[in-house]
Amino acid sequence: MKPAGAKKEIELALADRFGGAFQRREEQPAEIVPTGVWEIDARLNGFPRGAITEIHGTASSGRTSLLLSALAVATMQEETCALVDTSDTFDLSSAATARVDCDRLLWVRCSGSVERAFKATDLLLQSGGFGLVALNLADVAAKYTRRIITSWWFRFRRAIENTPTALVVVTPVACTRSCATLVLEVKNEGPLWPNTMSFVLENSDARLAIKEGGEGAPPQTTRLSLVTGSTQPLNSWPALTHSHLLQGIGVRVNRERPVAWTAGPVRFRTRLH
Amino acid sequence: MFACIYGRSVPKCGFHDETGASLIDLAFTFSPLVEQTTVDTVVLDVAGQDLLFGSSGNFGEPEHKHAGIDSSRALANEIVRRATQLGFKVNVSVAANSDAAIHSARSFKGVTVIPAGGESLQLGNLPLKMLDYSLAAVEKERVGEIGETLELWGLHTFSDFAWLPLKGIAQRLGQAGVRLQKLAQGKSERLLVLVQPPIGFEQSLELEHPVAELEPLSFILSRLLNQLCANLHSHALATNELRLRLKLEDKTDHERAITLPVPMRNPKTLLRLLLFEIEAQPPQAAIISVTIAAEPVQPRVAQTGLFIPLAPEPEKLELTLARLAKLVGADKVGSPELLDTHRPDAFRVKRFITSTGQNKSRRHRHWAIGAGQCLMGFRVFRPPWRAEVQTIHGRPVRISAHNVNSSCLVRGEVICASGPWRISGDWWRTDVWARDEWDIAVADSVPHQSDVLCRIYRDLQSEEWFIAGMYD
Repeated sequence: MKPAGAKKEIELALADRFGGAFQRREEQPAEIVPTGVWEIDARLNGFPRGAITEIHGTASSGRTSLLLSALAVATMQEETCALVDTSDTFDLSSAATARVDCDRLLWVRCSGSVERAFKATDLLLQSGGFGLVALNLADVAAKYTRRIITSWWFRFRRAIENTPTALVVVTPVACTRSCATLVLEVKNEGPLWPNTMSFVLENSDARLAIKEGGEGAPPQTTRLSLVTGSTQPLNSWPALTHSHLLQGIGVRVNRERPVAWTAGPVRFRTRLH
Repeated sequence: MFACIYGRSVPKCGFHDETGASLIDLAFTFSPLVEQTTVDTVVLDVAGQDLLFGSSGNFGEPEHKHAGIDSSRALANEIVRRATQLGFKVNVSVAANSDAAIHSARSFKGVTVIPAGGESLQLGNLPLKMLDYSLAAVEKERVGEIGETLELWGLHTFSDFAWLPLKGIAQRLGQAGVRLQKLAQGKSERLLVLVQPPIGFEQSLELEHPVAELEPLSFILSRLLNQLCANLHSHALATNELRLRLKLEDKTDHERAITLPVPMRNPKTLLRLLLFEIEAQPPQAAIISVTIAAEPVQPRVAQTGLFIPLAPEPEKLELTLARLAKLVGADKVGSPELLDTHRPDAFRVKRFITSTGQNKSRRHRHWAIGAGQCLMGFRVFRPPWRAEVQTIHGRPVRISAHNVNSSCLVRGEVICASGPWRISGDWWRTDVWARDEWDIAVADSVPHQSDVLCRIYRDLQSEEWFIAGMYD
């Protein structure tokens, strides 16, 4: 008997006994929640609804920036959102700057308890009606996130299946395994300096060389003292200001799941203001 | 069928408003359709009461006439009995016509039952001075004039007036005279001016045995809430505040109040909310009495649209919030709000309600989606991590810090630092704050890993270094 014919016979036999329980379900075209980052939305359209999206990366990689951007867009679209904050690290100032409408955001602080965070997420997903639910495990150590049992993720996936809710999980390492429909790895490509700024090491002293260009004017280089002990007198280097150092970070996003991404990683920049 | 209760003057205190109110209460125990004609006279519609107080015969039909009279008499006797228990001396009359019942009750002592069609016979001998002009809606100015006319005509009793020709009465006394004659005949037609029963949305229950556990209490609460919600439903109302009062075995009261963001009247939802509230603040002793009161309000009327984004159902959301509050604490669930101060990380958590401010969002929607710019996020450490910072000429060059559980660590050379920005505030208060903030990039000790961007500060009060949070 040919394998294809045998498979068909088995499927027919199963269908007689169990109906459509063993039939493979066709994937429905997913609705999406835009992320608010043009580069990602152009490629992915956004985070899928009715599915789990995992964003993982190391500290300062841009995970929170991406999450805040998605929350901002969702709340602007009058959707009710929820943030389960495992380690109580949600910063209201940066959220307000990112234009997250806090009136539409339910903030659940779990004081570092992963178990509470999962129970709270489960309650929110079972309640229904939320456009975007975010589970922030960014500050949980990687060794703990790896120990999270898979049944939780299956439970979450089952709870939001065929609902308009998008579950976004932010973790330090990938841990949702096969339960996530979309897995994004976020990497920091380095802080962004203003104008054209280069990092210079001179005689074991770190300095920033800023080339300030203007239209029609030749670029002028200014050197600013940085961290390590400078051999030069302090007053010979002008002091840095807040806006001199951090203007943003360059973020590279790799899509790990589903794997077919022909065009390579997405790069975008975050900015401080 | 109508019954009239006429309260004879009570010795010593006489009749007043409170006594009238008591008569109404008495009437409400027999029928919901009650009219307070005067302070001492109450009329109630007792149609169908014979099912409770006697035979089921129809009072108006001849074959059941005697059975109907018996049941009406039984009803009247029951009214007198209950009135006596309350300390009233009353006359009770039952008749097919409400005005006939009034005149009869005012004129005859004890219990009087007038069969249908026998009104003229029963009332015929009553003097005309007993005729209540107000029942015929006669103007006050004409009462004296008509009375004098009837006296001049030589009329003394109801029957004298009732037998006069209708046409002549109409010609001489007008419509008021016609209505008065019908009154004297016991054939007047009018609707009762009903007293609205007092709306009481409070249910209470005295327990035979003290209850110390939640599960048996939940059954009691469920019963009371079912009654309460049925009462609200019958009045097309809902509630936005529930007040629970528990009398305890140690003679104290335990009171809790639940304020709801939207009016509700689903007993199951209210029961869950009450149980969560009791679990959060349990009473100190066993319960001997339970009282639940609801604040009646108009129910929520929401018109949803096809293009309005989905939001959680208010009842479900309220239950979810209560469950979350039980799980993580009431102060850790809600909607965040920045405080109007320069103090870093100053916020409060307010109650989460589904927002209806659509205009504000629509104004910014296109901006938010169209801008496509991603602003840098920040994660704030609560409490801030205490850090060991080495400095050269005041600039941080090396840092080592970890969180309370030591599960997260920041340690390494500071490759970039920007600062300090001195900020301070609240100098007029005891909790004055002042700090020098730096933004730093720390080289990760793990090879091929990116740098960590932190915001650190030196507390100018304690001269200690802390990590405020991390750019992410």
